Amino acid sequence: MTSQPNRLAQGGVIDRTKKIRFSFDGQKFTGHDGDTLASALLANGVRLVGRSFKYHRPRGILSAGSEEPNALVELRSGARREPNTRATTIELYDGLDAASQNRWPSLKFDVLAANQLFSPIFGAGFYYKTFMWPASFWEKVYEPAIRRAAGLGRGAGLPDPDHYDKVNAFCDVLVIGAGPAGLAAALTAARSGCRVILAEEDFRLGGRLLAERYEIDGAPALDWVKAAEAELESLPDCRILRRTTVQGVYDGGTYAAIERVNDHVAVPPAHQPRQRLWRIVAKRAVLAAGAIERGIVFGDNDRPGIMLAGAVRAYVNRYGVTPGKRAVIFADNDDAFRTAADLADAGVAVAALIDARKAPSAAAQHIAEGAGARYLSGAAIERVGGGRGVNAVEIRDAAGKAEQVDCDLVAMSGGWNPSVHLTTHLNGKPQWNEGLSALVPGSLPPGMSVAGAAAGSFGLASCLAEGLAAGAAAAAECGFAASAGKTPAASDDSGAASPVWLIDKSRGKAFVDFQNDVTVSDVKLAAREGFRIPEHLKRYTTLGMATDQGKTGNANGAAVLAAVTGRYIGAVGTTTFRPPFTPVAISAFAGHHRGPDFRPARLASSHAYAEEQGAMFVETGPWLRALYYPKRGEDPQDAVNREVANVRERVGVCDVSTLGKIDVQGKDAGRFLDRVYANTFSTLPVGKARYGLMLREDGFVLDDGTTARLAEDHYFMTTTTANAVKVMQHLEFCQQGLWPELDVQTVSVTEQWAQFAVAGPRARDVIQAIVDSAYDLANEAFPYLACGDVTVCGGTPGRLFRLSFSGELAYEIAVPARFGDSLARAIVEAGAAFGIAPYGTEALGVLRIEKGHPAGGELNGQTTAHDLGFGKMLSAKKDFIGRFMAAREALTDPARPRLVGLRPLDRADLIRAGAHLIPKDAELVAKNDQGYVTSIAYSPSLGHWLGLGLLARGPERHGEIVRAFDPVRNGDVLVEVRPPCFIDQDGERLRV
Amino acid sequence: MSDRHLRPMSALAGLAIPGRYGKAGGEPGVTIVERLGLGLATVAARKGAPLRAAVKASYGVNLPDDSSVGQGPELSFVGYGPGQWLAVSESLANESLARDLAQRLRGLASISDQSGGRTVLRLSGPRARDVLAKGLSIDLHPRAFSPGSAATSTIALMGVQLWQIDDTPSYDIALFRSVSASFWRWLTSSAPEFGYEVTTS
Repeated sequence: MTSQPNRLAQGGVIDRTKKIRFSFDGQKFTGHDGDTLASALLANGVRLVGRSFKYHRPRGILSAGSEEPNALVELRSGARREPNTRATTIELYDGLDAASQNRWPSLKFDVLAANQLFSPIFGAGFYYKTFMWPASFWEKVYEPAIRRAAGLGRGAGLPDPDHYDKVNAFCDVLVIGAGPAGLAAALTAARSGCRVILAEEDFRLGGRLLAERYEIDGAPALDWVKAAEAELESLPDCRILRRTTVQGVYDGGTYAAIERVNDHVAVPPAHQPRQRLWRIVAKRAVLAAGAIERGIVFGDNDRPGIMLAGAVRAYVNRYGVTPGKRAVIFADNDDAFRTAADLADAGVAVAALIDARKAPSAAAQHIAEGAGARYLSGAAIERVGGGRGVNAVEIRDAAGKAEQVDCDLVAMSGGWNPSVHLTTHLNGKPQWNEGLSALVPGSLPPGMSVAGAAAGSFGLASCLAEGLAAGAAAAAECGFAASAGKTPAASDDSGAASPVWLIDKSRGKAFVDFQNDVTVSDVKLAAREGFRIPEHLKRYTTLGMATDQGKTGNANGAAVLAAVTGRYIGAVGTTTFRPPFTPVAISAFAGHHRGPDFRPARLASSHAYAEEQGAMFVETGPWLRALYYPKRGEDPQDAVNREVANVRERVGVCDVSTLGKIDVQGKDAGRFLDRVYANTFSTLPVGKARYGLMLREDGFVLDDGTTARLAEDHYFMTTTTANAVKVMQHLEFCQQGLWPELDVQTVSVTEQWAQFAVAGPRARDVIQAIVDSAYDLANEAFPYLACGDVTVCGGTPGRLFRLSFSGELAYEIAVPARFGDSLARAIVEAGAAFGIAPYGTEALGVLRIEKGHPAGGELNGQTTAHDLGFGKMLSAKKDFIGRFMAAREALTDPARPRLVGLRPLDRADLIRAGAHLIPKDAELVAKNDQGYVTSIAYSPSLGHWLGLGLLARGPERHGEIVRAFDPVRNGDVLVEVRPPCFIDQDGERLRV
Repeated sequence: MSDRHLRPMSALAGLAIPGRYGKAGGEPGVTIVERLGLGLATVAARKGAPLRAAVKASYGVNLPDDSSVGQGPELSFVGYGPGQWLAVSESLANESLARDLAQRLRGLASISDQSGGRTVLRLSGPRARDVLAKGLSIDLHPRAFSPGSAATSTIALMGVQLWQIDDTPSYDIALFRSVSASFWRWLTSSAPEFGYEVTTS
């Protein structure tokens, strides 16, 4: 094949000195710098680029922009393969590799094209009606088969190897679109000194000026574009974002935009992202997004070679490409007939100008004469010749006479639709403009104005004038002195159309929505079946769905629906446009937050030490905590058993820094705590800690923990790891909202302190070796629940608490977190002589279950103090949050499920958490369900499994045998109801 | 008593290794240094206490009423809420700041030592704003944020306090110690585009 047979020798904004090699479906081609994949394919004479979604019809290139419904390709290969990319927006780069989609075995010969023979049964709602029975077949049989047959491209199926950024930006004025209106708006705004962001979807500024042969101030319009671009670049507070599509409008003047930073190269350069998701906060925005042309609905209007007229001008004028050798123009507006002049000047034969309007247009007639073409008004294309590409059209003229005209290019236009999409994202409703036969912006998002074609002003002079004015107004509203200045001289032809909407007599499938293969007969069928509003029509026929969201098809769809239901098009309405404006890669939404960075992880200060010891970790909320520390060859259960036994028999150390820690200070700190805790804290002596129970306002348990009094006006509260944030918020609410009169200050100090539990009969020996000798730690001097400031390891300030979660003699020792790693190592070193071993959260759980302490499984938001055996802690001498509601009859009902211990009757049996508790001889039905198992553990101390559970009237039933029934995992064992505490019921070990 | 003294450890130990990273050549877009040894403490005013005058008398600082920095010779106060400040000091290092504040502002403010609980990074350089913009949804343009401005916000889902030091621009960013490694991963995936240098001072 000759290289680029359809490339003009000159003209356009491409660099012919730079040859770019690329391949499509394995065939090698060359194009030029400045090309898109679509323009380069057309330059090389490639018209057939894909197969359609449902009928596998041959499809070519319809448009020259992001509205493209047909020319979707798989771009790149391997992990970077991206399906459904629009050939019209892909910038050509050296080595580009693209493949057509939805065809097998090849693009030219596609087996499933036979689908169109069965099209009578593939109408709207076909899937819903056909694949109804049996229902179980839908997921496993029908849907996969349908997806294979009617699909678009294939995803890579591999992790995206590239990096994606999210960026925040702020400005006074955001200008969306850099065509004549947008450039003008950006100029006046930026000249005033305000901060401007100009976002342009294309890789070049200029918008339609790139595609047309306009003049501004008597010179080529692109000279004006170049000057505007240079001026904007010279202004320090103006940022131009090229290759950036504004995708959505959100509250507070927030806009989302995607910048395709490196989609125009094979692989992003080192350290560069592929795309950036911009979050732009703008005080004002000027929408200058232009307009999108619509086609005409006639039979076989989807054949390759039938293109939008504006796109044909873009290929000729911007890319120097002739998309055909002999053209006809079929349109209902004068703007489109200018295509004939552009084609003729580029040396393309123009056979005929077919004007769908009844009244002849002098302007169109004039163009036809200049192009040496025939002009037929009140005429239409009724038939298209050629399968894989148009080769002739049959025209019926106003008199009813039909004739065939040979051609390989049809430039069609049904008028232009202003790009109103972004005006509707905050529920703005576009309005039908009868004069323009198009929807124009209605109510606008706060702070947004619209200029140029997006507002329905299609003439160039109007675009410039509106842009200048909108930019100046936006800047002025931001407090800058701005003036619109003089509008440059330019032509001002309006693009108004007199649409015919539907060529009803034509033969062949007349497509409304190319991407979803929705035809006129589908719309008619839907209307007959009662889907008479566009939203319903969309769901039933898929009109307006998928990657293009009906950018070229929606208006025609509404018009056909209006016609077949006998309504005025302006009354039919439209579907809702929602973000994003164009498809966005999931990776762009994820940005940095992928894999291990999905969310931040909080690491305790002993994390590195635990890693060195080979710990397995578990996520506890945002924290990573050591779960257990397996020795070489040790299985998890053995490791946990060993760690538990070591605490019971010798001594263990566990990082408990993840518990929430809150400093509560101030003159009224004690009074404050009396109100937030169910039990009393104002009476707690300095140097002592106390277990506390916090209720919610509704009387259920919120959280528990110990709080120590470090000074008269200073308490140190701890919370569970899971509830740390919730409790802090609760305290702030109480302090600021409920009792602002109290002198109390709260602040989280969770991060400040590395805190370790040292537990076991030898705990004092270890602690004495760590704490400096000035401190007397004898049992009498520092008894159970004592606390105080100490120094450790020769002077490091710390705190010591005599607290126990395990039921053993135990301490918690705290130092500023930067010493945490060192303290962990020092404790293990000092404890070696006493047989110390680190233990993880799994052993911690076993130890507390053996002791019957409630934790996550029991503090589940549904239990009361009475349920957990803490009824006596509810002070009768004071008011506190939850007091009144906790006293409700139902909450203190003895028949409520309450905390019990459970022991398997056959000690070899395994109890399962979640198993239901049912009386021994009762029928296994829901009404006999009396509670469930909340926590289980294998107790190495007792040599069998045990559990905690919530059982109706539990405390009254100690000694009874019940069934722990787990239908999900076939568990059905008899268990004995016991007091929750299995070890050292009298708590003697705590106090030795 | 153990004869081994405890050694402090940065939460970025093994991560913040001095060197030049990312885009090569030219001035680094941003320079990153961990500010070790800072005294950090939260200061919360007691109800109705004449704290302002005491702070002025003791430290020569006008306590800011908004999210900005009150700078004094020994220490600065970064406002982060009504009646709440983060005190930051180089000379009153580590725990000594909280001790000093507790002594001099006794009964006037509630002091909590935070010197072990925060990692403070200083980001400086011509592209510091561009790096921060990848995670921080606060406008750092000189018209909106200047030396002495402060903010409490999030970066990549992690809570931060930051304040501007100078027009380089330089920013100090205080983050919770436990997320330091996650923050470092965000920072070192955001800065390479501009070239960055990790230094120790």
